[in-house]
Amino acid sequence: MMKKYLQVVTSTWGEISTYRFNFTMWRIRNVLQLLTVYFLWLTVTPVKGQLFGYSQPLILTYVLGVSLISSVVLSTRTAEIGENIDSGNLSLFLVRPLNYFLYWFARDLGDKAVNIVFVIVELFLFFLILKPPLFIQSHASFLLLTLIAIALALLLNFFIGCLLGFVGFWSSEVWAPRFIYFILIGFLSGGAFPLDIFPQWLQGIFHFSPFTYLLYFPLKIYLGALSPEQIAQGMLIAVAWVAILYFATKVVWLRGLKVYSAQGN
Amino acid sequence: MIKRYIKLWWRFTLGTSQIALQSRFGASLFLLGKILRFVFFLGFLIVLVGKTKAIAGYSIWQIVFFYATFNFLDTMPQFFFRNVYRFRQQVMNGYFDNLLTKPLPALFHPLFGGSDMLDLIILVISIFFIVFSGMRIEHVTILDVFAYLLLLVNSFLIALAFHIFVLGFGILTTAVDNLIMLYRDLTQMGRLPVEIYQEPLRGLITFVVPVGIMMTFPAKALMGLVSLQGVCLALGVGIGLVLLSLKFWQYALKQYGSASS
Repeated sequence: MMKKYLQVVTSTWGEISTYRFNFTMWRIRNVLQLLTVYFLWLTVTPVKGQLFGYSQPLILTYVLGVSLISSVVLSTRTAEIGENIDSGNLSLFLVRPLNYFLYWFARDLGDKAVNIVFVIVELFLFFLILKPPLFIQSHASFLLLTLIAIALALLLNFFIGCLLGFVGFWSSEVWAPRFIYFILIGFLSGGAFPLDIFPQWLQGIFHFSPFTYLLYFPLKIYLGALSPEQIAQGMLIAVAWVAILYFATKVVWLRGLKVYSAQGN
Repeated sequence: MIKRYIKLWWRFTLGTSQIALQSRFGASLFLLGKILRFVFFLGFLIVLVGKTKAIAGYSIWQIVFFYATFNFLDTMPQFFFRNVYRFRQQVMNGYFDNLLTKPLPALFHPLFGGSDMLDLIILVISIFFIVFSGMRIEHVTILDVFAYLLLLVNSFLIALAFHIFVLGFGILTTAVDNLIMLYRDLTQMGRLPVEIYQEPLRGLITFVVPVGIMMTFPAKALMGLVSLQGVCLALGVGIGLVLLSLKFWQYALKQYGSASS
């Protein structure tokens, strides 16, 4: 049964390889964005000393870590769900022996696989040319916990992406909500800067937001900056959000199918 | 003659605005997103400079002025040249062939064929912050303000040249979307003064891909940090790029094979 989803992963990989120019431009754009954030933090963080509790190696590791982790967590194909519904092509999927969620998750994995390969190459070249001071985590437990946090983040982003796509059941405006989401995660996930640069009261609010667990939380674990209690609490909150979003996705999907109609397919 | 083109531009803009506002929900969300993006990054800069006291030697109000000027220069071309984002479709479906038969310069509609009125709101916000932060920068002379305005116009010319290049490539390769987003990402590097970048990247984005001239020079001119030679160099780059882009557009048109609609 899993063979068909593996086929979806490989065909997504093949699809990206076909549109090489588009993909290359996408990677160039990512590198440009990385350069801006990298040099900003390199400029403002003292070589010896700290800023917001981050030494230069820590903050630069954070910035480069964001690039690596976003290629795993934030790359997604769920943006196509809305178009799929709006165009009526969903009808084709409903008659196939495919689980719709597993199909899109498989497409996501294919997309992530390509992005990971390229981001590793880009970061390698980055190290070679710019030689940034970095923090390398050596504790196996922190590394394992980072991987678990990334897996939870991956699921979080997938379910949120699905929910945004299901807007297509009720409105043809599928891009506007996704645009807002991109803006929000750009800042609230810790992508542009670590969230602990903000005052405590604001961090308290971020603590319960799902966006925090997309990038910021896994990276803080990697940097060894969280106590075991904080890690446990964060994992619980992340798991709770995954469960909430999973059920929300299911409910919205079933409600959406009730109102779904397609013409000409 | 100019009055005729302004009238046409207004007609196109009214048409595209009607289409955009068909979905008030979508239009509101896009506008909200743009405002949030501006506010979030501004908030981040204030928190950052509040702690560091300076970025690359610039004070908080200078940094805010850089960012507000960047936002103005980023939004202004989007406002006027919004039709460039639709150009690929127009080439693919043959609409561009139809445009070539009209008694208008071939470049007019691809560039000015319908502005995005939502960007006007962002422009107003940018101008407010430009004035608000500019008034808090010390030792600004009338000459500095004049140089700033002159270089703003020059930056718009550089943006115009970029968009014409993109349109030319759009005819030759239909790769408009990727190129325009690459332009946007390159110009995003000018959100902050280019001094934050190390050489040779700084030189590259100042002179080769003139993001620095476009985004940083105007604000630096207001602060009295650009010499007369610098202003002349910037103007030379701006005018030179426009002339080059027009030549490239003419070349691309000659290569155009039509979509055979």
